[in-house]
Amino acid sequence: MKTIFFTGKGGVGKSTLSAAAAWQLMERGNRVLAVSFDPAHNLGDIYNIKLSHKKKRFKRTNLYLQETDLEKSASEYIKSNMDLLKQVYSYMSTLNFDSYFDILKYSPGVEEYAALTSLEKILKEEKDNFDYIVFDTPPTGLTLRILALPQLTISWIDRLIKIRKQILEKRYTIHKLSGTYDEKGTKLAYTEEEDTVIQNLYNMKDRYKGVQDFIQGENSRISVVFNPDFLSLRESQRLLEGIYDLNLPLGTAFNNKFTEEELEVGNGVEKELTKQYPDLTIERVLLGKNKKTDTYIMDKDLIKSF
Amino acid sequence: MNGGKGGVFTRLFNYLRVFFSAMDKSHRSQVTGMTEFEQKELENLFVLLLMGSFMGVPSPPSFVAAELLPHLEHEIKVLNERAKDSFDTMAEMVGTFDID
Repeated sequence: MKTIFFTGKGGVGKSTLSAAAAWQLMERGNRVLAVSFDPAHNLGDIYNIKLSHKKKRFKRTNLYLQETDLEKSASEYIKSNMDLLKQVYSYMSTLNFDSYFDILKYSPGVEEYAALTSLEKILKEEKDNFDYIVFDTPPTGLTLRILALPQLTISWIDRLIKIRKQILEKRYTIHKLSGTYDEKGTKLAYTEEEDTVIQNLYNMKDRYKGVQDFIQGENSRISVVFNPDFLSLRESQRLLEGIYDLNLPLGTAFNNKFTEEELEVGNGVEKELTKQYPDLTIERVLLGKNKKTDTYIMDKDLIKSF
Repeated sequence: MNGGKGGVFTRLFNYLRVFFSAMDKSHRSQVTGMTEFEQKELENLFVLLLMGSFMGVPSPPSFVAAELLPHLEHEIKVLNERAKDSFDTMAEMVGTFDID
């Protein structure tokens, strides 16, 4: 399975290009899943069908479409955590604190986490069902934060594991000499196998490492979409910087909505980008028909095989 | 005579055994005392790092803390204890280093 993420400033045509790319890949005989992470969902509008959280087959083709509802994922995540908390602090269910936690879905970081969880779920569940998964992402800022999250979390988890190991070492020493107990006289875990905290940390690390390895791996590409204007150039530069910082594999960049009238600006934008990133391949996508060569966007292969 | 001699030795032996076991215990407790202190400090640090956002310290993504929370009862108690005792650092130092 291979994945392509279409990223870029709002309104540059990420949804259109990802929808077109998904269609082309399907026509080439692949099983394709197109997923929209953008809260302003357009994928269904482009294909003119109503989509939901669940994947839906498009007209008996090998193309499946899905719109991930980040808000729904966020509330699912909060619910699962609340259930866990209720098990631990059982008196909460009697006091019915539920209503007080409605606000939790507006907590910072929840949306990114929900997106990451959905991404992890899709990668895990659809790994064998599809040849290509095409992601339409939310605008730059959020996308970069989502893509950075596994790396960030792993480095935190590593640090926590290190401290936890030291704690267990101390506990082991004390256990050897006199036994380790807490205030209530229960034995404290002193081996990694017994310690639920370190086991949880290892589990979390494995999970994020899986996502991280995948999005950094050779089966994944991040495509940047921009328009022939300097405003979207500046944002693309920031985006590319972020992608290089995170060590993510860069795919083709698309100069979308290119017109013959704005040839000069379009050339200027491309020139500046290639000066900064010499190995970046830029593909021009014309707005409408190319009068000289008489070709439409759908006539050329958007995704070179990788 | 023989029995008396044996009695002296047995008594001496018992006395020495009690003496050494008490010494052993006190040494052990001295050693574990320091290690226990270190352990508590580390446990304290672990929860502090995890929940630093309560005090405005940058902390890991909140969901890491949320997932570990149910397993950290002991550590949170330690954190509370340390916070309670923090105004009297001198006494704590004296206690830890066993100064009378």
